[in-house]
Amino acid sequence: MAIVAIDKLTKRYDGGAEPAVRDVSLTVADGEFMVLLGPSGCGKSSVLRMIAGLEPITSGTVSIDGRVVNQVPARDRDIAMVFQSYALYPHMTVYQNLAFGLRRRSVPAAEIERRVKGAAERLGLTSFLARKPHALSGGQRQRVALGRAIVRDPKVFLFDEPLSNLDAALRVSTRNELIKQQSEIGITTIYVTHDQVEAMTMGHRICIMDRGEVIQVGRPLEVYGHPANTFVARFLGNPPMNLMKTELEGADGGLRCRVAGTAIAIDGRFESGGANSVILGVRPEDLYELPAPPGLGPMAEIAVRVIAVEPLGAETLLVLASADDAQEFIARVGRQTKLAPGDRTTIALDTSRIHLFDAASTRAIPRRRS
Amino acid sequence: MGTTRSSWLSYVRRSPLLLFLVFYTVVSGGPFLWVAAMSLRTTPEIFAAPYAFPSRLHWEKFAEAWTKSNYGTYFWNSVIVVTTAVVLITVLGAMVAHALARYRFRGSRLVRFAILSGLILPPQLMILSLFQILLEYGLYNTLTGLIVVYVAGHLAITVYILEGFFAQIPQDLFDAARMDGYSDFEIFWRITLPIGVPAIFTTVTLNFIILWNEFLYAVVLLTDDDKRTLPLGIMHFMGSHQLDVGMLATGLMITIAPIILLYGFFSETMIKGMTAGAVR
Repeated sequence: MAIVAIDKLTKRYDGGAEPAVRDVSLTVADGEFMVLLGPSGCGKSSVLRMIAGLEPITSGTVSIDGRVVNQVPARDRDIAMVFQSYALYPHMTVYQNLAFGLRRRSVPAAEIERRVKGAAERLGLTSFLARKPHALSGGQRQRVALGRAIVRDPKVFLFDEPLSNLDAALRVSTRNELIKQQSEIGITTIYVTHDQVEAMTMGHRICIMDRGEVIQVGRPLEVYGHPANTFVARFLGNPPMNLMKTELEGADGGLRCRVAGTAIAIDGRFESGGANSVILGVRPEDLYELPAPPGLGPMAEIAVRVIAVEPLGAETLLVLASADDAQEFIARVGRQTKLAPGDRTTIALDTSRIHLFDAASTRAIPRRRS
Repeated sequence: MGTTRSSWLSYVRRSPLLLFLVFYTVVSGGPFLWVAAMSLRTTPEIFAAPYAFPSRLHWEKFAEAWTKSNYGTYFWNSVIVVTTAVVLITVLGAMVAHALARYRFRGSRLVRFAILSGLILPPQLMILSLFQILLEYGLYNTLTGLIVVYVAGHLAITVYILEGFFAQIPQDLFDAARMDGYSDFEIFWRITLPIGVPAIFTTVTLNFIILWNEFLYAVVLLTDDDKRTLPLGIMHFMGSHQLDVGMLATGLMITIAPIILLYGFFSETMIKGMTAGAVR
C-alpha cells in the first residue's frame, strides 16, 4: 500500500538539448491504477524508469509514502516492474524466474514455495513451472512476467507497455486479466502505454504526456469529454476528434462560428477568452445522418459530400468534405447507412457537444458553468 | 532398374563433394595418423620403413618418455600454467567484457581501445620488453611469470569475443534483476555468466588450445629443464646432435592427447549450452 508522488521531475539525457521529461508532477493514490499515456518519445517511460530507480533523476523528487527515494537504489524501493519484453531470465525455469526476487530477499524456502505456487495458480501457470521461457507462448510469458511482480508483494507495480508484444485477441484477454488482478490485489499501479484503448479501459485515472510534459490528468471519460487542448483531443478517440479552424462572430450573447458555411450558435456556453480565432472540435460520434435521433442538443445542419465510406461492421465511418471542399471530417454513423462515395447530403451536428480551442495556444476554452 | 540408374547419377553428381571431403580428410587426418603410428614404433623401425604400420606396438615408449625424458614434469608444468592462465583469463575477461558491454563510464572507449590494441601487436614485438620486465620483478624463469604473460596476452581476444556476446543480452534483463534486488556483481554472476556460457566455452577452448601449444614465450622466458612446458619438451628430442624421431612422435602424442580430449568434451558441452532447453 503506497502513495507515489513525483514533484517537478526533470530528466535530461547526456547530449540532449531538450529535457526528455520536464517538470512532471503527479500524485498516485494508494491502490490507484494510473496510466501514463502518450506518443512514443513523450517521456512516459523515462518517468517510469525514474520511479523504478533505473534512471538517475536530473532534478525534482520521487517519493513513496512521503519518503523521498531519489537516492534509494532500485532494489530497496520495494517496487516491481513488468517490462515490455517481459525480461524473463532465459536460463531459469518459470519457477526459478518467479522465485528469483524472493531468494535475494532471503525469504524462507517454504514461504517462497507457497508464494510461487500461489501466484502460479492465480495466473494459471502451475503446469508450466518446470519450463523455460522459450518453451512458452507470448501470453504465458506475459503471465510469468506479471507473476514475478506479484510474488514479490511490492508496494508499487510498474508496467512498461506490457501488452504491446501480444497479438490483438490475446491483448484484449490479457488486458482484462490485468484489470482483474490489479483490482483484487489492490496495489498502487503505474502503467505506461501509447494505446488509448488500454488507457481508457484500465486506468482509474489517465495522465497524458506530450514532449516531456504532463498535458492533462483525469478520469478516462472526463479526459475524453473535456480534453485540455487539441493534442489530447486528437490523441484520445479513434477516429480522432475533427478539428476545424474558424472565427468567432457576433457579440456576447449572440456568439457564433461558421463550420462549412453553417453558423453554429455558441452563445453563453463558453467562457469567452477574448480569442477570435478558434478551433472547433467535434467528435465523429456527434455527427448524425438525418433524421437525427431525438433527445439530443440543438442540431446544426451541414451540407457535405461523401468522399469515402468505411464499413467497420458494427458501425460505418464516413469521410466527408464540406460543400466548398475547404474542410474534411469524419462521421461515425450506423452500419445501415445507404450513402456512397460522391453522394451529396446533409449531416447533423450536435451543437451541445462541441469543443472550442484557442487557435493560438491550442488550449481548450472552458465551458461556462450553468 | 530406373532406381539404380538414378542412385548412380546422384553419386556422380555428388562426386566432386565426396572427392573434396576425402582429400580434406587425408590432408588433415593423415599426418596425425602417421605421427600416431610412429609414436608406437622405434626409431630404427621408422628409418627402415617410414610409412609402415607398427608391426609391434611399443607402448613402453610412452612410459619411457614420461619418466626418462622428464615428460611427466613437462606435462604437469603445462597443466599448471595453462589451467591457471585460462581460469584467470576467463574470470578477468568476462568481468571486463561485462563492464564494457553494460556500463557507460568516462573513459570507457579509451579502456576498450587500450585492451583491444593488444590484438594488434605481434608477440615477437613485445618479447624483449617482457623479458626485461619479468627479469626486473624476479619473475623470469618462473611458471608464475609465464602465467602472467599468458593472461595479459590473451585477455584482449577474450574480451573481444565475450563483449560482443554480452552486449546482445537485453538491457531489460539487467534492469529486471536490479528490480529483483540484485547488486551489480550478483547480476554479473547470476545473469551474464549463465547466459554467456556458450561464448565462455568458446573462449576457454580457444585459449586452452592456443596456450597449450604456445612455444615462443615459453622458450624465451623459461630456462630450467624442470620448468619447461610440453612444447619445449618436444624440443628435447630435437637436440643439435641427434634427432630421435620415434620419441619425438611419442612426445607429440602426449602433447596432443589432452587437447583432443578437451575438444571432445567441450564441443559437446558447447552444443548443449547453446541448445539447452530448445529440446526440452
